[in-house]
Amino acid sequence: MSHMRPSESKLWPILGFAALACTLLMLSGFVLALRDAWYPAPSVALPEASAPPTATAGSLADKPKLLVTALGDSLTRGTGDETGEGYVKRTIDLLKQAFGKPVTLVNNLAVNGLTAVRLVDQLDEKGVQESVGRADIVLLTIGGNDLFQIAQNGGSVAQGGDISPELLKRLLPQTEPLMDDVFAKLRKINPNARIVCVGLYNPFYDLPEARPVSASILDWNDYVHQLATADGNATIVPTYDLFEANVKTYLSSDHFHPNSQGYARIAERIVQALQ
Amino acid sequence: MANLLALVHNETIKVWRKKRFAVVLLVLLVLIPVFVYAQAKIARNNAEKFADWRAEVQQRITDNTNALSSDRIPDEWKKWRRALVQQLQYYLDHDVNPNTPNAVTFTSSFLENSVTLFIPLMVLAIASDLVSSERSAGTIKMLLTRPVRRWRILFAKWVTLILYVSLIVVSTTVLAYLISGLAFGYEGWGEPVFVGFGLNGTDIDTSAVHAVTRGQFLLMEMGLVWYSALIVAFIALLVSVLLRSTAASLVTMMAAVISGAILANMASSWHSAKYLFNVNLDLTVYLRGTPPPIEGMTLGFSLAVLGVWGLAALAAAFAVFTKQDVMN
Repeated sequence: MSHMRPSESKLWPILGFAALACTLLMLSGFVLALRDAWYPAPSVALPEASAPPTATAGSLADKPKLLVTALGDSLTRGTGDETGEGYVKRTIDLLKQAFGKPVTLVNNLAVNGLTAVRLVDQLDEKGVQESVGRADIVLLTIGGNDLFQIAQNGGSVAQGGDISPELLKRLLPQTEPLMDDVFAKLRKINPNARIVCVGLYNPFYDLPEARPVSASILDWNDYVHQLATADGNATIVPTYDLFEANVKTYLSSDHFHPNSQGYARIAERIVQALQ
Repeated sequence: MANLLALVHNETIKVWRKKRFAVVLLVLLVLIPVFVYAQAKIARNNAEKFADWRAEVQQRITDNTNALSSDRIPDEWKKWRRALVQQLQYYLDHDVNPNTPNAVTFTSSFLENSVTLFIPLMVLAIASDLVSSERSAGTIKMLLTRPVRRWRILFAKWVTLILYVSLIVVSTTVLAYLISGLAFGYEGWGEPVFVGFGLNGTDIDTSAVHAVTRGQFLLMEMGLVWYSALIVAFIALLVSVLLRSTAASLVTMMAAVISGAILANMASSWHSAKYLFNVNLDLTVYLRGTPPPIEGMTLGFSLAVLGVWGLAALAAAFAVFTKQDVMN
């Protein structure tokens, strides 16, 4: 220590005290962490929850900007679209052009494999309610999983081989009323939104043994259409015709979900229905 | 006692003069802006894409829920995601933003991400050559021929190590806060954050959840990071006593730390790995309530495992250092 340079005679007191202070601070943090883990106590009161924004009444054309929330199953998710856009993003882009004002997606809340029953449960979640509650337009695809689950005789639906048209026809009357709950709940959360429900199609139209499924699909679409008419501010966008003549063009390789062209067509139709 | 203080003084100045701590600060000054920039880009992107934080959190919940339904995702990841979804849901239900972009949240997440690799690495920069450098420089003979008992010399080095570990953790935090504040603003100390999430099988147990301030949360995280950094330092001290070359001792410790980070990611089925020190380094998971790397690990367990490793390393270091012959 005898060879210490002059500047270092000050270094030790500063460095020593700084290091000691840091060590004590770290020790207190460590003790605090242990105390909080084993003797938990809140240290801050939660702020008052602010009321979430809600959609206003009025026509889409009159509003300065539009908020869109998408709900439902893998179709809304965009499964099968190699570009990943799905019909939701395409619809937003087309709506921007059509209305000439900002159109924003609040959330795409779609979950792969969602059924109508689980959608009703999902609509109880607070975040979902806020997201739906502020939307001017609610985009929805639901029911496909319900129908193909009841029509399934075991095996993979996507393979198409195990669909039983008779079973579907028999169980359809029990399944359709699930949509009553979906519409009722959506309306309760958001009295003002325009609900756009994309109709179902028969992805197995090209298989002769599964062609009778189309009758049940139309029946389902008709049921939902009646609900929409009763509601007054809801639209059903038909898609079944697209996928009858052009199964190969519009379906993706899983033979169940649309491909990017199919989604583009669905988006076009939604925008036509909203204009 | 005065003798010991003089020894600590001497050791502290020696480390300082080797400019190791300056290198640590320099590395931090270069790295933190990089992460701040990346984080600021993400925050700006989110602000553009989402109407507000609620929409953003809700989208994270939905996206993770979708990942849960995929068969391609391993079960351990699903467990982690399920816990995340339930936590985010809890934040949303209580109208609390889980990550407001500000300097305090940035600093917290910087510490969480550096506890397993980055902080240990900086600790090793100082710890690895504490003894071995004396050996390679030949000064160990000078040191040991002085009329001071050998254990006192190692004890002084040990105290010095603790002081520098504290300095490293505090300067990492302070620099992260100061630099990120330029981009995100310096507020956020009083914001609430939830702690006390428990795991009950695959579900999150919220019975003990309570809110603490971001400031207290950061201090607790620093304390836990400091504890695991100390353990790494103590083990490095032993390695530095055992191995002659600084390079060898640095590489040995780095291999141990890095393999721990890898194991923590993939060893969830190898249950006895939980007794390794390097799998237990991330103590912040218990504070955040995310599932630990291996099932059955708790805060108490990890603290105990790390404590045993640290004490054993110290005992061995002292035993070897006081008996060892000094050659060449």
